[in-house]
Amino acid sequence: MYLMENERKLTIARAMAEATAQEMRLDEKVFVMGEDIGQLGGVYGNTRGLIEEFGEERVRDTPISETAFIGAAVGAAQDGMRPVVELMFVDFYGVCMDAIYNLMAKNIYFSGGNFKVPMVLMSSVGGGYSDGGQHSQCLYGTFAHLPGMKVVCPSNAYDAKGLMTQAIREDNPVVYLYHKGLQGMGWLGTEAGANVHTPEDAYTIPFGQANVVREGTDVTIVGLGMGVHDALKAADKLAEAGTSAEVIDLRTLVPLDRDTVFNSVKKTGRLIVVDEDYQSFGVSGEIITTVVERDHSVLRSTPARVAYPDIPIPFSRPMERFCLPNPDKIVTAFNQMKDN
Amino acid sequence: MNITVPTNLWDEDTDAVITSWLVSDGAQVNEGDLIAEIMVEKIQHEIRSPSTGSIKISQPAEAVVSKGSVIGEIS
Repeated sequence: MYLMENERKLTIARAMAEATAQEMRLDEKVFVMGEDIGQLGGVYGNTRGLIEEFGEERVRDTPISETAFIGAAVGAAQDGMRPVVELMFVDFYGVCMDAIYNLMAKNIYFSGGNFKVPMVLMSSVGGGYSDGGQHSQCLYGTFAHLPGMKVVCPSNAYDAKGLMTQAIREDNPVVYLYHKGLQGMGWLGTEAGANVHTPEDAYTIPFGQANVVREGTDVTIVGLGMGVHDALKAADKLAEAGTSAEVIDLRTLVPLDRDTVFNSVKKTGRLIVVDEDYQSFGVSGEIITTVVERDHSVLRSTPARVAYPDIPIPFSRPMERFCLPNPDKIVTAFNQMKDN
Repeated sequence: MNITVPTNLWDEDTDAVITSWLVSDGAQVNEGDLIAEIMVEKIQHEIRSPSTGSIKISQPAEAVVSKGSVIGEIS
């Protein structure tokens, strides 16, 4: 007899840990390394339960030396292993960028394709809980800008699990960025919309497929990670005023699903990009360019962006709140649009 | 049957915060299912369903609760 599955909501933290555990059961070459990912289960909960099931050989707590353990992971990956490595805060990329960008991202190319580098570099992004400019950045635009790495950022637990399974099975290096405010860790802020039904059986979400999370006809709002939740709340507010907003969750930046973005704007004629990463030289500009360079005539209005201002992130909570994207800023951006 | 915050999850008499409900109000749950997470001073604890049935949530996410608090009901 077929029994309907009970609802099974997970936090993104649990979804990431579940996907990792399932891949570790299937493939003994998968192992995890990073700071506090063993006994503690990860500062953001995303490796909870792994050391108890798989032991210290496959779940390796490392010293605070990102250069060493990310470099070691690249070597292990080229030698046939499939490491999942955590950089605790993406902001710490500076100390290990040679391992990330001159080794992990390029060695497939440098070896003429003779080596694969099947590793996942996971890292926390985002602010909103007053942790200062060295613990609060998104920086996904930086990783997406530099060729050689796939870059993903889930907005909910279902996507988090499918993208993690896909990332571990990939033969290319994947930068897996998760927003702290979506992890279900209370002290980092809580976004209940990120906790969604997540099947227990393993599944993958192919990279390069954006998700239309809300359909609409008057304006397209594009975001990723936390920006998707801001966009959905803005869409609710816009609906009260009689405006129908379509919301697109990019899910992956590299590869980028430009078709879904373009086709949506072709339908709505208006575009707002929401991005917690810095405004200039980044994701929001790339999304607008995606539309404009294909056919600018689909736009009824000048596109708008609600992104982080080009300043280091303030520690002060009121100042940080002032800078962060939020639903009201998206609504204001729409109301200020002037049709051609 | 009431869903009660267990008194033995943590030692001190500190209050906890419900960080996430992992089921929707009114959902069908089985005894032993993980239904919520609560946090005490950055340590997360699991709340499991005491019985099988339909859940009624009485304390929302982000509510402050203590040991022994009733946070919902299974009927």
